[in-house]
Amino acid sequence: MTAPSSSRQQILDRIRAATQLTTHESAPVKVAPETNLPRTYIHHGQLTAQARIALLTERLREYDAELVECTPQAISSTIAAQLAATGKHSFVAPHGLPAEWLVPGFQWTIDHSLSHAEIEQTEGVVTGAYCAVADSGTIVLHHSAAEGRRVLTLLPDWHLCILRASQVVETFPEYIDRCPQPPALATYISGPSATADIEMTRIKGVHGPRFLHVILVRDES
Amino acid sequence: MSTHPILDPTRALPFPQAALPVLRNPQLRKNIAHATDVIEAKRDKLVAEKTDWQQLRSAASAIRAHTLENLAFYLEQFESRCTAAGGQVHWAADAAEARQIILDLLRRENATEVIKIKTMTSAEIELNPALEAAGVAVFETDLAELILQLGDDQPSHIVAPALHVNRSQVREIFVRRMGLANLSDDPEALTAAARIWLRRKFLTVPTAIGGANFLIAETGSAVVVESEGNGRMCLTLPRTMITVAGIEKILPRFQDLEVMLQVLARSATGERMNPYTSLWTGVTPGDGPERFHVVLLDNQRSSILGRPTERQTLKCIRCAACINTCPVYRQTGGHAYGSVYPGPIGAILTPQLMRMRHAQSLPYASSLCGACYEVCPVKINIPEVLIDLRAQIVDQQREQPYRLFDPMYLGMKIANLLFARTWRFRAAQRLGRIGLRWFTANDGWIHSLPGLGAKWTQTRDLRGLPAQTFRDWWAARAPHSDQPSGKEAQ
Amino acid sequence: MRASLFITCYNDTLFPETGRAVVRLLERLGVALDFLPQQTCCGQMHANTGFRGEAFSQAERFVRLYRDAETIVIPSSSCVAMIREQYAGLFEELGNNDLREDFAALLPRVYELSEFLIDRLGVEDVGACFPHRVTYHASCHGLRALHLGDRPYRLLAKVRGLRQASLPNIDRCCGFGGTFSIKNADVSSAMLASKLQDVVSTSAEYCTALDNSCLMHLGGAMHRQSLPIKTIHLAEILAATETQPVEARA
Repeated sequence: MTAPSSSRQQILDRIRAATQLTTHESAPVKVAPETNLPRTYIHHGQLTAQARIALLTERLREYDAELVECTPQAISSTIAAQLAATGKHSFVAPHGLPAEWLVPGFQWTIDHSLSHAEIEQTEGVVTGAYCAVADSGTIVLHHSAAEGRRVLTLLPDWHLCILRASQVVETFPEYIDRCPQPPALATYISGPSATADIEMTRIKGVHGPRFLHVILVRDES
Repeated sequence: MSTHPILDPTRALPFPQAALPVLRNPQLRKNIAHATDVIEAKRDKLVAEKTDWQQLRSAASAIRAHTLENLAFYLEQFESRCTAAGGQVHWAADAAEARQIILDLLRRENATEVIKIKTMTSAEIELNPALEAAGVAVFETDLAELILQLGDDQPSHIVAPALHVNRSQVREIFVRRMGLANLSDDPEALTAAARIWLRRKFLTVPTAIGGANFLIAETGSAVVVESEGNGRMCLTLPRTMITVAGIEKILPRFQDLEVMLQVLARSATGERMNPYTSLWTGVTPGDGPERFHVVLLDNQRSSILGRPTERQTLKCIRCAACINTCPVYRQTGGHAYGSVYPGPIGAILTPQLMRMRHAQSLPYASSLCGACYEVCPVKINIPEVLIDLRAQIVDQQREQPYRLFDPMYLGMKIANLLFARTWRFRAAQRLGRIGLRWFTANDGWIHSLPGLGAKWTQTRDLRGLPAQTFRDWWAARAPHSDQPSGKEAQ
Repeated sequence: MRASLFITCYNDTLFPETGRAVVRLLERLGVALDFLPQQTCCGQMHANTGFRGEAFSQAERFVRLYRDAETIVIPSSSCVAMIREQYAGLFEELGNNDLREDFAALLPRVYELSEFLIDRLGVEDVGACFPHRVTYHASCHGLRALHLGDRPYRLLAKVRGLRQASLPNIDRCCGFGGTFSIKNADVSSAMLASKLQDVVSTSAEYCTALDNSCLMHLGGAMHRQSLPIKTIHLAEILAATETQPVEARA
C-alpha cells in the first residue's frame, strides 16, 4: 500500500469536515453506513423461460448478433455448422472449454498463455459464458476457464458464445442475485462494438469482434 | 502549453460572447440540433418503455447521495480492497498533483508513449499537454477523441465530443493525418480506417491511461462503460494501466451496478445497455496489466461536498442527458461554455471547480426551464444549484466598488426599492409609462430601446405601456365592500 | 367563495387586460374577488438573478400581506412556482419562525388560475366562447414546476367554437427565462426563432399560455416579423363570451 501521504490525509480530513465527521489520528472514526436505500425498481422478471429466450433472441438480433438454438445432444454439430458457415479455419479456445466443443475439421489453438501475436493469427474464438440478461441482450463473462482470458474475446474478429437456457435471466438485478460473490473480472457484452461519433450514425465493429454468434442450448427439462 | 483557450475557463470568453460564432453558423447549429435531437429521441423512447424508470431514478439518486454523505468511509474501503487485490492507490489534492503523480509513474516505466481511453477527468486536469511537454506521446483511442486530436479541435459534448464535426470534415482530417489516398466520407469507411490505425497502437504501446465510470468500494473494482472497444483494448493489452478518477466516482457495492448501469446507458446513448462494460479488480496474474494504479482526484470536490445546495453536483454520473435535452445547448453547442464540461452540468460544475473565481457567466447561461432536472438519472436539481451559484456571484459583486456602474446590478437594486413601497411602485409605473412614450411608435409598439432595453428590441417589439394599470382600473370600479377604505397604502 | 387576486407586477403594468379578464371570468363564476392594493412583486426576478436578500424582502412582504387571505389566485405560473419552490428556502435562511409558520399556513391557499378553476372551483366549462384556431404554449414553470398537466387543455376543450392546434415540441423552452432574455439575448433569440417555427407551423390565429412573460417574448417577435398570429393569455379566452368577446389587440 502507498505510504499515507499528506495529500491523502488532507483529502480525507476535508471530506470528513464537509460531511461533518471528525477524524482522530489515533482512533479514526469509521462509520458503518446505513444501507437501507429505496430499491423499489423491478428486481425479478415476469417472463416464462420460453418468453425470456425469445426476448434474448430478439435483443441479440437487434444488435445483428446471430442466435441459433439446439438441444444438448446437438451442441457439437451445431458448433460445427456455425464454424463451417464462416469459411474460417483457425480458432482459439480457452483452456477450460469442454473437449466436445473442439469440433474436428478446424485448426484449434488452445490458450495456454498465448501471446497477443498468436491470438491475432486466429480468425475466431469460441467460449462459454457466465450468464445472459434477456432484457438488455447482455452476455456476461466472468472469464473463468471455459470463458477465457479477456484478450481472447477481444482480439479475434469473430466470437461464438455457447449459452445454456438455464443461464438466461430476464433482468440485470437477477444476474447480480446469481453471483455468490462479486466477480474479480467481468465483461458485459451487449452487441458488437459500435460508435455513433460520426454524425450520430451508428456504425458497428470498431474494436473487438465485429461478429457475435450465440448458440443457445435448450437444457431445460 | 495548456488547454486550448476555448475550453480553459480562466481564459474563455463569457458565455454570451462565446456563443456568437455558433449562433451565426447555420451548419454548426444544424449538426448540433440534429445530434442532440437524435440522442434525445432514443433516450425518450427507452425511458418510456422502462416501467420502473422513476423508481430507478430514485434509487440512483439515493445511492449517490448516500455515497457522498459517507465518502470518506467508502474511499478508504476502496483503497483497502483495491490494494489487497494488487492495485496501487494514489491521492491527488489538485490537478497539478495528479499530473505529477502520473508523470512519475510514467517515468518509472520509462514510458515514451501512452494510449488513452477517453476520460473527462484527464481533460479537467489538462493531462495531455503536460505529458507531451515531458516527451510522452499521447494517442487518444476513442474515435471522437481521435478525430479531435488529429483535427486539432476541442470536445463539445461529454459523451459525443465530436458531435459538431460532420462526415466530410472527418474524412478530410483522416486523409490529411493518416496519409490515406482513397477514402470516402461514408461513416463505415471512416470507422474502418480508424480501426486499422488504432490496432497498431493497441498491440504495441505498453502503458495506458484512462478513467473510470465507477469505483466499487466493497470490492476495490473499477468499471469502464463504453461503446467502441478501445477501452477494453487499453485496459487489457498493455503492461501498465493508470486510472485517474474523481473521488466522487465511488459506488458502495457491486449490487449498485444494477441501478447505475440501467440508468446510465439509457440516459447517455439511448440504449438498454452499451456494447461493452468492463470490471476489473486490482491485478489478475495472466489476465491483463501487471501493474494497476488508481489516482484519486480531489480538485475542489471536497469543497463542493461541504455546501448543502451544491453537494448534489457531485452525484453526476456523466451521462450527458442534461446536455442532450438543454434548449440552450441545442443552439450554442459545447464550446460556448468554455470548459471541458459543457451544458447544464458544466454550468454548475465548472464555476465550482474554479472556486467561483472564473466562469461566472455560466450559471446565467440558462433560462431555468428545468428540462435537465427532469431527465437527470440521479435527480440533480440543476436549476436550484444554478440559482444558488447566481446568488454567490451577486454576493461577490456586492463587495466590488464598481458594481453601481453595472446597469443590471443598478437596475436590480432600484427595482427592489420600488417594490418595497406601494407608492414607489405606482410612481415608477407612471414614470415608466411617460418615459416609454418617447419610444412608442404610432402603431402603439416600441421598436427600439436604448441601453439594456436594446437587448430586447434587437429581435422583439414591445407593446407600449397601456394608459391605465390594472390597479388603477380596479380602484376606479364601483367600490366593493371588501376593499380597504381610507387606509393609506404603504 | 372569496378570493384575493395577486395580479403580478408585470401583468399590472403591461397586461392589465389579462387582469380585467380574470375579474370578469371569476365574478361570472360567482367568486367574490378582492384586490389588496399594497401588492407589488413576488420576488422571482430578484431570486432568479441572484439577489437573494432583495428577493427575501419581497417574499416577506407578500406573506405579511396575504396572511389572512382565504385564497389567493395568480394568473402567472412562474410567480406561483417562485412561491412554491423558493419561498421556504428564503425564509429558512433569512426569516424567523413566525414568518415560516405564516408561510406554511399560506402556501396551500395559493393557486395558479387554471388550478383555481379546476381544483378549487371544480369547473372545466366556464361558459366561454372563442371561435378561433388556438395553439397552447406550455410555459416551463407551469409544465415542470406546477405540473399543470392537462388542466389548460381541459379548459380550452370546453370553450365554444374554439379549435385547438397542438404545438410541436411543446416541452421545449421558448427562451424567455426572465433576465436571461437580456443577459443572453442572442441565445434567447435563437431559441425564440426555433419556437416561432413551431408556432407558425400550427396555422393558429392565436397562441395562448398561462404566462404573459412567454407571450410577451413570442408576441414581440411575431409583431416584429409581421406574422399574423396574435398572443393572448388563457384568462382572456376564458373570459370571452358571445356578447363580450376579447378586448381588441393592438
